[in-house]
Amino acid sequence: MNKEQQPTISSKKTRLIIGWLYPKYMSTYGDRGNILTLWQRCRWRGIEVTVKELDMGDKINPAYIDLYFFGGGQDQAQKIISEDLQKVKRDPLRKAARLGSVFLGICGGFQLFGHYYRPANEMDIPGIGILDIVTIAGNKRMIGNIVAETNEKLNMDRKLIVGFENHSGKTYLGKRAAPLGNVVVGFGNNGEDRTEGAYQGNVFGCYLHGPLLPKNPQFADLLIERALERKYGHVVLEPIDDSLELETQESVVERAKKIQ
Amino acid sequence: MDARLFTAVIASKTLRTTIRLLGGGATAAPGLLAEYIDSTALQKLAKYYTSLIFVTGTNGKTTTARLLGNILEYGGFSFIHNRSGSNLLRGIIGALIDNFGNRNTNIALLEADEATLPSAIRQTNPNIIIFNNLFRDQLDRYGEVDKIRSIWQKALIHLDPKSVIILNSDDHSVAHLGKGSKATVIYFGLEDKNLSIGKPPHASDFTNCIACGKQLTFDEVYMAHLGKYRCPDCSLIRPKPDIYASSVKLIAEKGFEATISTPKGEIKIKSQLPGLYNVYNCLAAATAGIVLGIKLEKIKEALELSTPAFGRTERLELDGKKIFIGLVKNPTGFNEVIRTVFEGSGKKNILIAINDLIADGKDVSWLWDVDFEFIVSKIRKVWISGIRASDMALRLKYTGAKKLETHIDDNLETAVAKAIDGTQIGDTLYILPTYTAMLKLKKILAEAGVSSQFWED
Repeated sequence: MNKEQQPTISSKKTRLIIGWLYPKYMSTYGDRGNILTLWQRCRWRGIEVTVKELDMGDKINPAYIDLYFFGGGQDQAQKIISEDLQKVKRDPLRKAARLGSVFLGICGGFQLFGHYYRPANEMDIPGIGILDIVTIAGNKRMIGNIVAETNEKLNMDRKLIVGFENHSGKTYLGKRAAPLGNVVVGFGNNGEDRTEGAYQGNVFGCYLHGPLLPKNPQFADLLIERALERKYGHVVLEPIDDSLELETQESVVERAKKIQ
Repeated sequence: MDARLFTAVIASKTLRTTIRLLGGGATAAPGLLAEYIDSTALQKLAKYYTSLIFVTGTNGKTTTARLLGNILEYGGFSFIHNRSGSNLLRGIIGALIDNFGNRNTNIALLEADEATLPSAIRQTNPNIIIFNNLFRDQLDRYGEVDKIRSIWQKALIHLDPKSVIILNSDDHSVAHLGKGSKATVIYFGLEDKNLSIGKPPHASDFTNCIACGKQLTFDEVYMAHLGKYRCPDCSLIRPKPDIYASSVKLIAEKGFEATISTPKGEIKIKSQLPGLYNVYNCLAAATAGIVLGIKLEKIKEALELSTPAFGRTERLELDGKKIFIGLVKNPTGFNEVIRTVFEGSGKKNILIAINDLIADGKDVSWLWDVDFEFIVSKIRKVWISGIRASDMALRLKYTGAKKLETHIDDNLETAVAKAIDGTQIGDTLYILPTYTAMLKLKKILAEAGVSSQFWED
């Protein structure tokens, strides 16, 4: 049976639980837009959504949450949450990753999904190791519009994703992580190997602020689909009129090419 | 005078005259040339002044400096001011050169960009520095707010006790900048629990203790992270303001009334500047006026007669329609402008123009930190323009608002025409532009005969 013949998901009573990691500390660059996008795209389809804020001290039940979001913050904020991340959240998050929950990390959140962040003259800041990546402090900030072509294996109809990067950390992928995409315009993971972002199973991360999901609706839907599939089996999402989203995406592609 | 400075001054003045003859504003290039010819120009030029006043902060620099300018004028002081808005070193140098040779003026009132301030302080020996606030702003250009805070703190260490630093007691990020400095510290703030909005909005920056990192407790929140805070863990607490406003009454986009209490007595003022941020701007300017020994009646008079600066909550009229322009450049500024515009129950027509040029910030992600969800039901019609119009339209779409009448037009000129056309006679069109969109808007409106060019401002 092909996709089109299947009933769309809204015909069933469905519910998506989103866990938002450290919303007060790790949301400096408009990354809240990703939560708003996941939330609205579900609601427009009649899917019930709950967003659970996972702040300092909050415990996580890995069986309960379908999709985790972890945004970017200031260096200081990353240090503040680091202890809580290791002591309170690391183990349940690792378990959730093993159980197939979906994860999206942006910038600082992406880095902390990895093994560690290595500052210039300080101790490593450990990550939670659900992505096979490491990040090393660089001495040049990589700032600007970014356009990347998504990994073929993700099988996305629309190849491009767009956003705005602003990081000095250089991220390198290990064998188990695949690049989320290849850079068309911009710096990407490290400014060297033209890769951007990484994924491993259902764990995704990248440097794209902008925010990422409003301008890349197909990627938003991929995350929603995978998160629901964990609970409900194969799902097909009802289409949404994405003309404004795609127009915005195209305008960013043009803008990025023009001022690169 | 030394020869190098002399060359720099002459070259800079010649360049300025040439640019103005060609019809330009000449707010940056002449200073840049002087700086190029003599890298110590600022240090040397500053010595010609007995009083140097710097005004900084993320939001309200221009308005606060203009308010203080009016207070100085009413106080009978002659002064110079980089009022055309170029607040980088080049603009500051340019303003000092403009006045070069005028021996009657010995006060320099200088608005300084957040990142420029430390170097301006090191090259001069300022008498007064006003720190109004610190919010996330153009992160692609300034970097993290924590870093701005730390470069400010470092720059103040070498000041002597004759220097006065004026700090906003309600902004946790600036209130404690005096620590480690010998300079005299004076605080201003609000004392009005009726203004509290409960908890800090999502776009708040400094909600954790700068000393120990713990989450602060807020007894009152006035805007963003500004309010009455205390650390539940260490001893850090909001300092009691020396000069404060109480009984504040905000009158939508028209202005505010408040009582300002000072060690020298109390004044009741009725300002033409709207919004809570302007209460802070007035307090900051009044505090500097008091430090300079200006009488309270003069301060009151100056504050009451002050009108909004260029595009900052400015009100104009065209063909029987009112136009309100509120510059928006960062999440907190945008939140506060929409809070002012959408006060009350009526529905409004708005035009939002978002550009992403260097002066606006190249990253438009910040639009997603603005709480449009609170006001979207009060929009009657919205026109969206600027280089990043569709990003803005997308932001409004994801508020989930149904049936919002939205018109998108990248071309600001036609968007403005359509928006004015779509507004009834007697009604107000609220225009909310980013910085470069505002510059363009001023030109468009000037051509329509509504507003003067800004360097004549």
